[in-house]
Amino acid sequence: MSYLNIDAVKGNTYDAIVVGSGITGGWAAKELTEKGLRVLMLEKGKNLEHVTGYENAMKDPWESKYNGRLTVEQKETHPKLMRDYPYNEMTEKYWFNDADSLYKEEKRFDWYRPNIVGGKSIMWGRQSYRLSDLDFEANLKDGIAVDWPIRYKDVAPWYSYVEKFVGISGEKLGLPQLPDSEFLPPMDMYCVEKEVRKRIEKNYPGRVMTIGRVANLSKAAQAQLGVGRTGCQYRNKCSLGCPYGAYFSTQSSTLPACMKTGRLTLRPDSIVSEVLYDENKKKATGVRVIDSVTMQTTEYFAKVVFLCASALGTTALMLNSTSNRFQNGLGNDSGELGHNLMDHHFRVGASGTWEGDEDTYYYGRRANGIYVPRYRNIGSDKRDYLRGFGYQGGGGRGRGAWASNVSELSFGTDFKEQASGIGPWSMGLSGFGETLPYHENRMYLDKNTKDKWGIPVVVFDAELKENEKKMRIDMMNDAKEMLETAGVKNVRTYDRGSYLGMAIHEMGTARMGRDPKTSVVNGNNQLHAIKNVFVTDGACMTSASCVNPSLTYMALTARAANFAVNELKKQNL
Amino acid sequence: MNRRDALQHVAILLGGVISAPVMAGVMGEKTYTGESLKVTLDQESLLAEVADIIIPTTNTPGAKAAGVEKFIVRVVRDCYTKEEQKAFYEGLSKLDADSKTKFGKGFVDLDVTQKNEMVKQTTVDNKPFFLKMKELTVTGYFTSEIGATKALEYLPIPGRFEGCVPLKPGQKAWAL
Repeated sequence: MSYLNIDAVKGNTYDAIVVGSGITGGWAAKELTEKGLRVLMLEKGKNLEHVTGYENAMKDPWESKYNGRLTVEQKETHPKLMRDYPYNEMTEKYWFNDADSLYKEEKRFDWYRPNIVGGKSIMWGRQSYRLSDLDFEANLKDGIAVDWPIRYKDVAPWYSYVEKFVGISGEKLGLPQLPDSEFLPPMDMYCVEKEVRKRIEKNYPGRVMTIGRVANLSKAAQAQLGVGRTGCQYRNKCSLGCPYGAYFSTQSSTLPACMKTGRLTLRPDSIVSEVLYDENKKKATGVRVIDSVTMQTTEYFAKVVFLCASALGTTALMLNSTSNRFQNGLGNDSGELGHNLMDHHFRVGASGTWEGDEDTYYYGRRANGIYVPRYRNIGSDKRDYLRGFGYQGGGGRGRGAWASNVSELSFGTDFKEQASGIGPWSMGLSGFGETLPYHENRMYLDKNTKDKWGIPVVVFDAELKENEKKMRIDMMNDAKEMLETAGVKNVRTYDRGSYLGMAIHEMGTARMGRDPKTSVVNGNNQLHAIKNVFVTDGACMTSASCVNPSLTYMALTARAANFAVNELKKQNL
Repeated sequence: MNRRDALQHVAILLGGVISAPVMAGVMGEKTYTGESLKVTLDQESLLAEVADIIIPTTNTPGAKAAGVEKFIVRVVRDCYTKEEQKAFYEGLSKLDADSKTKFGKGFVDLDVTQKNEMVKQTTVDNKPFFLKMKELTVTGYFTSEIGATKALEYLPIPGRFEGCVPLKPGQKAWAL
């Protein structure tokens, strides 16, 4: 930083810096700019303009070159990313190639790192559920890890606050373990789903099947119309980016809200290598940024820093931010930074075919499925494992070629007839299970191996353990039993194996807690040891719940940002 | 707004924060230019003929009319390893050679009955080739414009969702 002088410092000084532009970065920036702060938002990836940047979103199937297949070159340049579906022909440009996102695995870990403004808010699954006190009290009741310093009542108003802006489609159920959101109208169910739902609820008291709660606008409300969003067109191409702004993303929702204030500066191609700490002031003063293209280093300064770089990105940044005071990573007095790494485990369940309703069909492509809220280890139900799981999945009616009576060796006129005809209805349930926070499940930096920007690479050393393995047996067997009881035929179970990272719900590596000795952030997402640094992405999670986490990250971020603004006003930061 | 305009628009929005090299990087189109086997026009028309036996023209156009061979050539060239490409085109050549042995004519010149007989024989003689060829033909056909809009019904922008409606007489399967 040869040119660093007073003017440069002034020119590079903001009220707040937000690291990351994904789901939580967008929310932090929205809240902070709307409350009057001048905010610099730093994004590692390249810019992605709303609507015009979604190059593949309006393509017809015949414009796809390979119908979703990966090329040999893509496989060679993405040996890890190609392990699972999120990386494909149509989303190629949204992800880093493996060479630019090096990491190491003591144990297999699938790390999906987006290379765009908006982060994973562009490709996310959009399933949106509230945690409940079943989750917030879980560690305390089970006597494991540490207790959440907050309870449902602390977050409930913030869930409502973000939901009204995001737009969550869903059905009110009044369940204690899955509190209702502020809902837009629920999406319709397939005939088979309606019938299976009735039979499950009749045969299994306490079990419920509902339509997925999803951040797609079944009907745009004023809050969404106001930032230029429109209703869902039921194309089911969300992960390509939505030209209608019909699902919540940074680009469709929080970024336009920030831009309206005129107080946001967004800087893509900006790799934050370090958070700068001043030992005299006992505060963070800003961040050091490497321009990913020019390799130039610049320092930016602010009164408050929000780390929203995804659980693993934020944690890696903190581990790399060392000083005399914090030799093991920023705010890491507890030694817990990088530990308690969690994700959901999934890819286990059952599916079958439905004999009946042959005279019915559907219209449109629903970017959503069904949801069976957790019922295990609730009330009098006691299993040989802790916590529980929910099911996602649903029905459908595909084409005839998938019917079992079409021989694999058939071809010609009859085959064409069958393959282009309408097949039977089908129905499946796929479990999403909670993973416990194990101290030994961790990530750390390998200081001897650096990426092309000179930043030490992350090493993963984490795995599913006995509790999860026992739970998976229930996840498979319950699905089969419920489907069969509901009259689904040819039910087949599967367990395709689940590795941490795969569900892209990674969390827990800078956990929230009351005690600075055993946790990294407090109940306001503030570092115990550095009051002007906030961690509001998945890193803050004390336990995983079994529900999709993004909605909770949003609520916690909005809550923390408003807390930070109040603290700034009181001159506490 | 085209891509270049869109990016420049972004640069303006960001107050010129995007530097020239960044622009160049974002603008750079990635092209995949891995080494691949050369495919002759004869091979391409042979592929079209075989595909058209797997999905023939009926009351809707078949695989050849849909141009499925272009899709097959592209996928095999870019998504198959060199060994897989070799095995695939050897399978195709064998089918042609076997046609000559059996009927004294290359596959392309056979009548429909003979072509069907040869493809049937391939399901036994070279099942791996047949399955690959069938898979490519089926996905290529149903995602082609003709396949998606003529053999199936394609709704680019449904605009609404109804999960349980009466099946209309003559309703075709949805393309997606």
